[in-house]
Amino acid sequence: MTTRKSGSRLETEIERCRSEGQWDKIPELVRQLSAKLISNDDLGELLLGECKLQTYLKENPIKQGSSPRGPRPKLVEVRKHLTAALDRGNLKPDYLQEASLLMAKLCYVEAEFRDALGHYSRVNLDDMQLASAPVYRLSMIAEAYATKGLCLEKVPASSPSLSNKNTGSPSSNRSTTDREQEIITCYEKSGDIALLYLQEAEKALSAGIQNRSPKPGPTTQEQELGYFLETGLQRAHVIHFKNGNLTQGVGRFREILRAIETRTTQNLRMTIARQLAEILLRGMCEQSYWSPLEDPPSVSPLDDPTRQGHTYIKNYSLSRSPRVYSGENLFCPQENTEEALLLLLISESMANRDAVLSRIPEHNNDRIISLQSASVVYDLLTIALGRRGQYEMLSECLERAMKFAFEEFHLWYQLALSLMAAGKSARAVKVLKECIRLKPDDPTIPLLAVKLCIGPLHWLDEGEMFGKMVIDMGEKAAEFRAKGYLAIGLVYSLKATDASLRSTQEEYQRKALGAFQRAHGLSPTDHLAAFYLALQLAVSRQIPEALGYVRQALQLQGDDVHSLHLLALLLSAQKHYHDALNIIEMALSEYPENFNLLYTKVKLEAMCRGPEEALLTCKHMLQIWKSFYNLTNPSDSGRGSSLLDRAIADRRQLNAMTLPDFSDPETGSVHATSIAASRVEQALSEVASSLQSSAPKHGPMHPWMTLAQIWLHAAEVYIGMSKPAEAAACTQEAANLFPTSHNVLYMRGQIAELKGNIEEAKRWYEEALSINPTHVKTMQRLGLILHQLQRYSLSEKVLRDAVQVNSTAHDVWNSLGEVLQAQGNAAAATECFLTALELEASSPILPFTIIPRAL
Amino acid sequence: MLGSERGVVEEWLSEFKSLPETHIRSYAGSLHLKKSLVPALYRVIQDPNSELLEPVCHQLFELYRSSEDRLRRFTLQFLPELVWVYLRITASRDRQSNGCIEALLLGIYNLEIVDKDGNSRLLSFTIPSLSKPSIYHEPSSLGSMVLTEGALCQHDQIRVLYSGLHPQRETFTAQNRFEVLCFLMLCYNAAVVYMPLSSYQSVCRMSSRLCVCGFPRQQQKLWREPCNRVLLDPEFMVQMLTAVYHAIYNGEWEMGREALEDIVYRAQLELYSQPLLLGNAMKNSLPESAPDEPRGRKVLQVEVTPTISRISISAITTASIRRHRWKREDTDGMSGGEDSFNINDPDEGFSSGASNSSQPSGTKAGGGAGPRASSLSSSSSSIKKAITARLSRDKEKVREREREADRKAELLTDHQSAESRPPQRQQSPPSSINLEAIHLSPIKKHLSFPVGPALVRTGSTSSSKSFDCMTFNLNGGEDEQEAAGARGSDRERGISAGGSHRHSTISLQEEHLVRPEEAQELLSPGAPLTKQSRSPSFNMQIISQV
Repeated sequence: MTTRKSGSRLETEIERCRSEGQWDKIPELVRQLSAKLISNDDLGELLLGECKLQTYLKENPIKQGSSPRGPRPKLVEVRKHLTAALDRGNLKPDYLQEASLLMAKLCYVEAEFRDALGHYSRVNLDDMQLASAPVYRLSMIAEAYATKGLCLEKVPASSPSLSNKNTGSPSSNRSTTDREQEIITCYEKSGDIALLYLQEAEKALSAGIQNRSPKPGPTTQEQELGYFLETGLQRAHVIHFKNGNLTQGVGRFREILRAIETRTTQNLRMTIARQLAEILLRGMCEQSYWSPLEDPPSVSPLDDPTRQGHTYIKNYSLSRSPRVYSGENLFCPQENTEEALLLLLISESMANRDAVLSRIPEHNNDRIISLQSASVVYDLLTIALGRRGQYEMLSECLERAMKFAFEEFHLWYQLALSLMAAGKSARAVKVLKECIRLKPDDPTIPLLAVKLCIGPLHWLDEGEMFGKMVIDMGEKAAEFRAKGYLAIGLVYSLKATDASLRSTQEEYQRKALGAFQRAHGLSPTDHLAAFYLALQLAVSRQIPEALGYVRQALQLQGDDVHSLHLLALLLSAQKHYHDALNIIEMALSEYPENFNLLYTKVKLEAMCRGPEEALLTCKHMLQIWKSFYNLTNPSDSGRGSSLLDRAIADRRQLNAMTLPDFSDPETGSVHATSIAASRVEQALSEVASSLQSSAPKHGPMHPWMTLAQIWLHAAEVYIGMSKPAEAAACTQEAANLFPTSHNVLYMRGQIAELKGNIEEAKRWYEEALSINPTHVKTMQRLGLILHQLQRYSLSEKVLRDAVQVNSTAHDVWNSLGEVLQAQGNAAAATECFLTALELEASSPILPFTIIPRAL
Repeated sequence: MLGSERGVVEEWLSEFKSLPETHIRSYAGSLHLKKSLVPALYRVIQDPNSELLEPVCHQLFELYRSSEDRLRRFTLQFLPELVWVYLRITASRDRQSNGCIEALLLGIYNLEIVDKDGNSRLLSFTIPSLSKPSIYHEPSSLGSMVLTEGALCQHDQIRVLYSGLHPQRETFTAQNRFEVLCFLMLCYNAAVVYMPLSSYQSVCRMSSRLCVCGFPRQQQKLWREPCNRVLLDPEFMVQMLTAVYHAIYNGEWEMGREALEDIVYRAQLELYSQPLLLGNAMKNSLPESAPDEPRGRKVLQVEVTPTISRISISAITTASIRRHRWKREDTDGMSGGEDSFNINDPDEGFSSGASNSSQPSGTKAGGGAGPRASSLSSSSSSIKKAITARLSRDKEKVREREREADRKAELLTDHQSAESRPPQRQQSPPSSINLEAIHLSPIKKHLSFPVGPALVRTGSTSSSKSFDCMTFNLNGGEDEQEAAGARGSDRERGISAGGSHRHSTISLQEEHLVRPEEAQELLSPGAPLTKQSRSPSFNMQIISQV
């Protein structure tokens, strides 16, 4: 009565050991068992046979892809035990079945496939009860089905074994089909039961741990599946895919994935989830998709048509199947990309979790393996999210990879590109810097960085540094060398525009011109090089030369909107206003909604055709604006619809992104524009990535800037018509949007002047200058007013400042001349007038710098 | 063009015209049996001078208009070739001969942008979220992901529109060209599985040629026909990549890979990030060898994968760190002693911890910041911080370890948030700006001035709305607040300065644009609000006031 366990407890213990695969404890338990009852001898034989067979398999595992090689001396004992158990026939029917299954398994291990099949036919696997079976028996049945499938694959279609050679006949054809069907059914059943077994085993394990007292079991040990269960779980879909039967393969994948995960299946699930995503992305499209809860289409383009008729039909149901994920509001993908994304996010979270972080040499191999498997998942995520334009989310995903991406160029580069595509420019540049460090020979990377520095960021010094990197690569940069020169030329050109000192301005302009010339020389077929060369020449008022290059650019790319615009401005500089207007109208037929062209059109029309026409164009612009942006109406609160609107606006935004800024183009407009633009972009993408928000929506700033600008243009036309009231109304519209814009204040000053309120005008101008101290037009007007008020020296000071800021403003020179004349300084005045005349001869209707400069 | 081909095409033209309505189904089924027809049609499309081009385009459109899917797909298979011919001729500016192809492309476009009832077709999809249970997973079992910023602000699945509300187009202009072509390629890609091999070849050919023609790489190609560079749109290139990707795995391994290389080449030269991103991913995940199966399909090669992790137990992974952490917590935190240590099977504990940490979504809503959290990442990240703080109050030590472990990854994030939210570091400006935001709201009332002339009236409504939007903006998010607030209040600076204010302080110094101290002085009187005014709930109040 001391240490001996009572019958039922002993049996429970045996069952537990069998379930948990603790074969080493069995012999001792059998000894205890046989001491109790004589009739248990047979059971003892069974258990000993089992434990020896399992121990053997554990020590000599069968490898996937290899087949068993015949009888082994070590297994003789096993056969002896099992034969003993079977022959005497004293066993309970359940145990008798188990003994047969073990015998069949032994036969398989010894390559006696036909014998194994014989045992299976005697047992009739389908009759075995799953419902109340102990855990270990589930595993046994699953293994039995898998083994049966393996045997069936080895043994040629048996029953009509003679007629089998005659493969042409339809009957044998059908029998091979039947055989295939039988094999797959075996594997699928095996897989299902294996999943059920794993779920039950895990449940039992955790329950067991809780019940058992302090002594810890070997809980951390991972459960090995073994050859048979692994085969059972996976062989079915391998056969499906080998046969080109994608529809069934996908169906099987989905079945496996829907079963609740166990620790043992994690790795398998991760692989299968990735593979299913690959199929969805590579072999399916929206029209051929069917949802996991729907029946697959009967004829699918996915399946190999040469094997039509070989399609497998699932025709079994088990009395107990593995538990699947269930509950209310379960998300079920309805679309190709949705399912791919879900699967990839699941694999990503697993890959991420298992990524090896330590960098000690011993773990190098592990690290590389885990990195590769994660990298594949991230590539697929990129493809899935990229083709739906979800760069924001993609950049967040890739960021998660960073913790194990140390020194891994590919992941860093992808992160940089995704940040760039998501409009997170500043961070993209930082990541690109790291990419340059990892791969210093690739000219594309610094060029991408310059692109961001010139465009949304306006980090000109950084841009210069990146541009120089490309140029320093010399011949190695190959085709990118020209781009490098173009990039650095743009940097200098923008710096020249920003510079406040005339000498620096000229220095940068010279450098820019040189760089553009190099770019054009290196890549004469690139229209951008020719165009920017022309633009730079135009800015430094070399009009005829500029015309030559802009014509070249147009020959290379006849549709280019900026080249056409520049051509029109150049013509206007030569005072061919009608030609310029024709060009603008032609350009507008290709780009009917380009506000930049329309602004120029307003100016030209006011000049050639009178202000009424210009006003009509302003009205037209307002209509375009409305049709463009009315969808972003901020007051509409429908959750779904407003998101749709936002997305549309986002798309259109791209077309309109090159609008000039509201502020004066000659004083660093690109800066303000671009920053506003990047903010818009940011706001948009953030809004787009969150349907959730019921909070107030962010109106993108850019449309409002455009609107204000349209109003100001209209105001200007009215001023030209000497209609102060209308001009004031238009200005008020702009002021409603941007009450503190210096342009609005400048316009108010002009209106006051028109009304004859010199003092009021002066006040407005002074306010405008307090907001933007380098606004040349305001300075010129203020200078004039001071002149009228006979405050000559102050006027001269203001005008001289204005000339410092922009040396090509002819009306400033003119005003300066007048002031100097009034002060009696005739010689200097003459010089100023001459300069003014000269500049006026080459002055375009709008500054050349309203044309955006970007890579 | 050979006489026999001509005959085939002419027969096809006349056959369909005389076809009675009832035979269309069987005709659609038999069309693919005419083996010589498709190559003959390619010949017609490629030859701009063929007099058959116009009737062929017309007939292709008729097929597309029919209700039979197979007929529509028959037309669709020629789409890549049509696009190529159209773009090549456009680049050479020889517009006249392009008319019927343009008409066909626009016709297909105009049919596709509307659904059966004539409403604009909206294509949308749901971005799944791991924090919502699905048929493939349970959030708690994927513990590690739950507390990320992304998961928090995207707690719900998000429905995203990826195409829709396209206007009808009568003509191609340079401005709408790629909008139309992108949409057409999207339609092609939605049915790409049904396309025959010849169409895959065509799409690869089109992609390669569009990307290299006029560039030095064209010299390395067999196809050297002189041709101007063709302008390409990044989004269009993404669509090309999608089609080529499909071709690679479905029978056109060689051509597809060449096209992929060419697209990446062009994307590099154009410095387009989107196609470069996708192209890199596609290149990097290509299998090493060509498919060996006769039909060349290589969608997937499946082997039995071992279920045991290939990674040794001792290696440090995110999971192992977390395991380690939970163990620590069990031993020094919950006083569970050895017992509970064992109960907490590493992964079990890990997942239960995860479900704990998924609760912040509740906290988030309770704090009144829910909607905002999802609309602006900067604010949500601060919320995230708040939540982590709350969570970690009792687990501070443990969390600290985690942070240290993940620091490499978070360095980046921190950097960004530091940059986009300088105010957290420099104390007073944000609070005064917030005040400004409140003060701005009454302005809205006196905005609706009656406006004069007719021209002015057209826009008045929209502009007052626009101001609504602006004021919302001011309260909407911290970023916007600062920027807009600075703009609204700081009389010294223009919009440009206001915009740049958002910039990192470093760049401000560099650009000499603003004088922060001065701005501060200007604002600080009458700004009694403390830093706490930035709390989400306070912002909510502002919103409701507005």
